[in-house]
Amino acid sequence: MRVADKVERGAPLTLTVDGRPVTAFEGETLATALLAAGIDGFRCDLEGRPRGPFCNMGVCYECLLEVAEGGGPAVRLRGCITPARAGQAIRTGLADDR
Amino acid sequence: MTADAVQELEVDVAVVGAGPAALAFAERVGGAGLTVALIDEQLRPGGQILRQPPGAFRVDGWLDSPVYRRPKAALARLAGLPSVRFIGGASVASAYPDERGFELWLAGAGVPRRVRARRLLAATGCYDLPPAFPGWTLPGVMTAGAVQAFLKSQQFTPDGRIVFCGTHPLQLIAAEQLVKAGARVEAVVFAQPAGAVLRLLAHAPAALANAGKLAQAASALAGLLRAGVAVRFGAAPVRALGEDRVTGVELERLGPGAARETLACEALALCFGFLPQSELPRSLEAAFAWAGPYGGWRILHDDWMRSSVPGLYVAGEVTGVGGADMSLVEGALAGLGVLLDEGHLTAARADDMASGLRREHRRCAAFAAMLRDLTSPEAALARMAREDCIVCRCENVTRRAIEDARRDNVGLDRPTSIKLLTRAGMGPCQGRNCEHAVVRLACGGREPRPMDAFTARFPVRASPLGRLV
Repeated sequence: MRVADKVERGAPLTLTVDGRPVTAFEGETLATALLAAGIDGFRCDLEGRPRGPFCNMGVCYECLLEVAEGGGPAVRLRGCITPARAGQAIRTGLADDR
Repeated sequence: MTADAVQELEVDVAVVGAGPAALAFAERVGGAGLTVALIDEQLRPGGQILRQPPGAFRVDGWLDSPVYRRPKAALARLAGLPSVRFIGGASVASAYPDERGFELWLAGAGVPRRVRARRLLAATGCYDLPPAFPGWTLPGVMTAGAVQAFLKSQQFTPDGRIVFCGTHPLQLIAAEQLVKAGARVEAVVFAQPAGAVLRLLAHAPAALANAGKLAQAASALAGLLRAGVAVRFGAAPVRALGEDRVTGVELERLGPGAARETLACEALALCFGFLPQSELPRSLEAAFAWAGPYGGWRILHDDWMRSSVPGLYVAGEVTGVGGADMSLVEGALAGLGVLLDEGHLTAARADDMASGLRREHRRCAAFAAMLRDLTSPEAALARMAREDCIVCRCENVTRRAIEDARRDNVGLDRPTSIKLLTRAGMGPCQGRNCEHAVVRLACGGREPRPMDAFTARFPVRASPLGRLV
């Protein structure tokens, strides 16, 4: 839930997560953008079970996402320290096409 | 990437971390005119205690509790230090000694790839103890620090009912901040009996100069009770429930019968203490010791915060977890140490400037020792470990697999051997999630020694190769 009281966010932006559009705000991390959109499975563990953000400070690597932007190749980045940007194509470890 | 793309930066002193210790250090060293680079993974300085909202946000009344006043003042003074440069969004993958000092390898978007410095301060802070128990890998189970950082920085709270479980009073503070932000905190559950927590909070008004945080915890407890949040004692989480995400937590009560009960929740926040983040100085072969009772490894140092490696200094939680005020003191002492070693201060002058800091350090250390005693996670971790579960989150290695490897391989029962036998600690987190648990299992109750540590080596922060070279 985004706290509304006494908070002004950056401009809204749109990215995609597993092909579906998700709205976020400038300044948000990918972890926030996905959780706010109700997506809490980020990566998939070795037994096929979902994992999501755990430490939210770059330590645990549970929030790894595939991030493609600007025409470049997809890179696996930690969602908790990666800013959301317009046009990013995010792929979780639980995408239907996996 | 071609060699042309490699941006380099040379400074007098590089600092890894930008929390209170780094800020206090930069003020001393940058104030004396030396060039300093503060390098941090977050996009803005302040460390975990001051996880700032992004530049694109405006938040009125951000962290206005008095306990944040001193670190916030140190942060505000950073802007007045022209020789200090903040490099945000940069992971330090490695540091190597070279002929002039140290070379750091950075990974991140648009950051210098190499930073060279004559001296290096590791102010790498700490992270929440990751306590292994059945179900703790479910989405929605997070550390209390994670939940608190979402609020501090992103102004975001989990949906639905939130339950806090732990042994550390920080969970009172985090829970109250969430309630004030409009989140629904269902319960705050301490694993130790009420007496232990109340004894701790009773120290708040005592003559301890560092009781500010306890006073905040005591006032948070009152605030939570007023808000109708259940604050419970003597119950440890023994299972997080759910299929694809957490739907509840099973608690086991202390005492005869060890009665169990279930609390439904959509988020579970864990608060069992903090581990020093010491991989970088350990990779440089700095001497260290076990940081009980929470675990992890603390870097040893002398009175000027010099580690055992020439030119490498340490300050803040990496020397043993003691809180933001202690980090500010250690950062300032390390700053004086660097100025002394650089010939900017005489020994007499440095001693003179350090005397007040040393008095405050003794007070902080006494407080930290008391806090450690009354918030030890050891008993709770033992109760949470009775049933098998994943210990290494990256490689899905269970406690039973680790115990089997230890039993079946006589003479190969050290943590590094267990790592090789089971793959525990070989994933991208490099053992930060599981090392403390593997070490505890391998040592079987005896005090862990440096030879029990996983070897810290390149890259101390895993990063995509394309962002490194």
